[in-house]
Amino acid sequence: MRLVREESDRFVVSRRAWFDAAVLERERDTIFRQAWLFLGHESEIPEPGDYVTRRLGFDPVILVRGEDGEVNVVANTCRHRGVKLCRSDRGNSSHFRCPYHGWTYSSAGELTGVTNVLDLFGRDFDKSHFPLYQPAQVDSVYGLIFATWDPDAPTLEQYLGPALWYLGSIFGAFDDGVEVLGFPARTIVGTNWKPESENVGGDGYHTPITHQSAFALGMFAGPQDLEKMGKVTGKTYTGRVVDATNGHTFRVHHLPVENELPTFFGLPENLWPEMSRNLDRGQTDVQDRLSLIHGNVFPNMTLLNNYKISTEARGSACRYFRVTTQHPISPDRNEMLWWCFVPKATDHAWRQQSQRAYLRTSGPAGLFQIDDNENFTGFADAHSGTVLLDENVELEGVNNSTVNTDLGWPGTVYDADKSEETIRAFWRRWSEYVDGVGEAVLPPFEPAPAEVAR
Amino acid sequence: MSRHGIDVAPLVNAELHSELSAFLAYESELVDSRRFHEWVMIVDPSFTYRVPVPLTPDNPSKNGYDDSAFVIDESRQTLIDHWFVRFEPEMWEMAWAENPPVRYRHFVTNVRVRETEVTDVYDVRSNVMVSAARQSSPTSTLHAERFDVVAREEDGLRLRSRFVVTDESVLDFVQLRVVF
Repeated sequence: MRLVREESDRFVVSRRAWFDAAVLERERDTIFRQAWLFLGHESEIPEPGDYVTRRLGFDPVILVRGEDGEVNVVANTCRHRGVKLCRSDRGNSSHFRCPYHGWTYSSAGELTGVTNVLDLFGRDFDKSHFPLYQPAQVDSVYGLIFATWDPDAPTLEQYLGPALWYLGSIFGAFDDGVEVLGFPARTIVGTNWKPESENVGGDGYHTPITHQSAFALGMFAGPQDLEKMGKVTGKTYTGRVVDATNGHTFRVHHLPVENELPTFFGLPENLWPEMSRNLDRGQTDVQDRLSLIHGNVFPNMTLLNNYKISTEARGSACRYFRVTTQHPISPDRNEMLWWCFVPKATDHAWRQQSQRAYLRTSGPAGLFQIDDNENFTGFADAHSGTVLLDENVELEGVNNSTVNTDLGWPGTVYDADKSEETIRAFWRRWSEYVDGVGEAVLPPFEPAPAEVAR
Repeated sequence: MSRHGIDVAPLVNAELHSELSAFLAYESELVDSRRFHEWVMIVDPSFTYRVPVPLTPDNPSKNGYDDSAFVIDESRQTLIDHWFVRFEPEMWEMAWAENPPVRYRHFVTNVRVRETEVTDVYDVRSNVMVSAARQSSPTSTLHAERFDVVAREEDGLRLRSRFVVTDESVLDFVQLRVVF
């Protein structure tokens, strides 16, 4: 039985895809071993010896800036007896020393010291045979560090495909680049790791319902706000969703205003000229009059570049750049990491306002986020049993929208603000890994009988 | 905003200690029973409420948090405008996460009150365990140290700021939108 099934006008996903423990094991052995996964940003480790600890899929790794200035990713386990080397979340160290027997590694992962090596291992012991384990490939774009355990994975650029262009529209606009504000928060959310990705990947359908209170609080620019922003072109925002291939998806939402030159509302105006210069024509069109762009880089990296009103005082406006990752713990629990990015060339006051706009709307305690979480955890709550796991979730919403070929944005761009096009794109890619079609290497998945599931 | 190095002032006398402890207990009562209209009456207009990102540092002399990044960063006005309003009759039906409300309970202990260089302004620290019961789920708890500034005004004590350092570095708490 395939978990994702698509037939003419039907698109269904088995509820086992979220809440069957056997499916999570399958995801662990396919998606989280084969996909490129986001780990962090280069600005988190600016100096040689700076490190942060993370998970690459299910396995612990260290991101460390080497003495040569290069970013290295090494497994956080000693080659000798497997003990965890780095026990803090971040720090600076010229080397990693195992607390058990003292084997010592350089920030590039080379074994440089073995305690009593002659007595224990003899004259012929060759340290060069025992570097720290490393991901098969590590690469970065706009300082965003990705890695994969799969030596056969395509290059990061190939993996991202058209998504790279959309990442560029967000992170590639500034002369001095972007940086992360502080250490990412980490929270446990009582649901499967996928609902956040499905949602932020492009679900414009839920917004007026789930986030009705945010509309009532004036966080979306209304007619009075728009009048001050340029020539008002209509009453409704323009929304488009993008299937950027490989399961990557975006949604772009524009304010109904027009100006002679591009306007990047919510960002300091002194950055506007360089943004137009650094972005290509299509990317400028994405960022011009932007309400928000959000998306998901398959499998578990969500992006949210958002313009919001009234997060500080009534009528105040600011843009923020949020990135999260969702790491499965069990079918109904995941750990979220939360990064807040800012353009490097911004002052303290703007950064503070931007971080607050993020925290108060889509941060761990933000009012959009907690209402989203209510849905995501409610989804988990509804699947404590086994009978309903054999039922499906329906994903047919708007499957006949017009493909826009005039804009010239890469991927398949749909003229649809509210659709489930992006969610289907996520699941098609997921199905290739987990259902064992397409590029997946394992035999087709057979779910466990109901009585042993979970 | 390092909190280290300002611990030199002695603890205040028993009477003041008792008064400030009672103030904290009252303040918690108002939060736990969602009497936000009364809560804002004992909070200074300049109030800031911040929870920095907790982490495990690489050195015992370093703070277990990063105060350039926050989990919560609010003012009295934003709490009124964005938080408490969601419990009002005109909004609670669309404020999904507040309805049914999470049941919070503060357990405030180890209160330490110190004078500051400003008369009638106190540095008040306390340990808290906050429990949260959401619907039928098991209760989750969060442990933290609170750094408050409390000032004596003509008509009573006012909470001027709260800075909350959690013990857990990965926050496993059912709903973080609460005044800890």
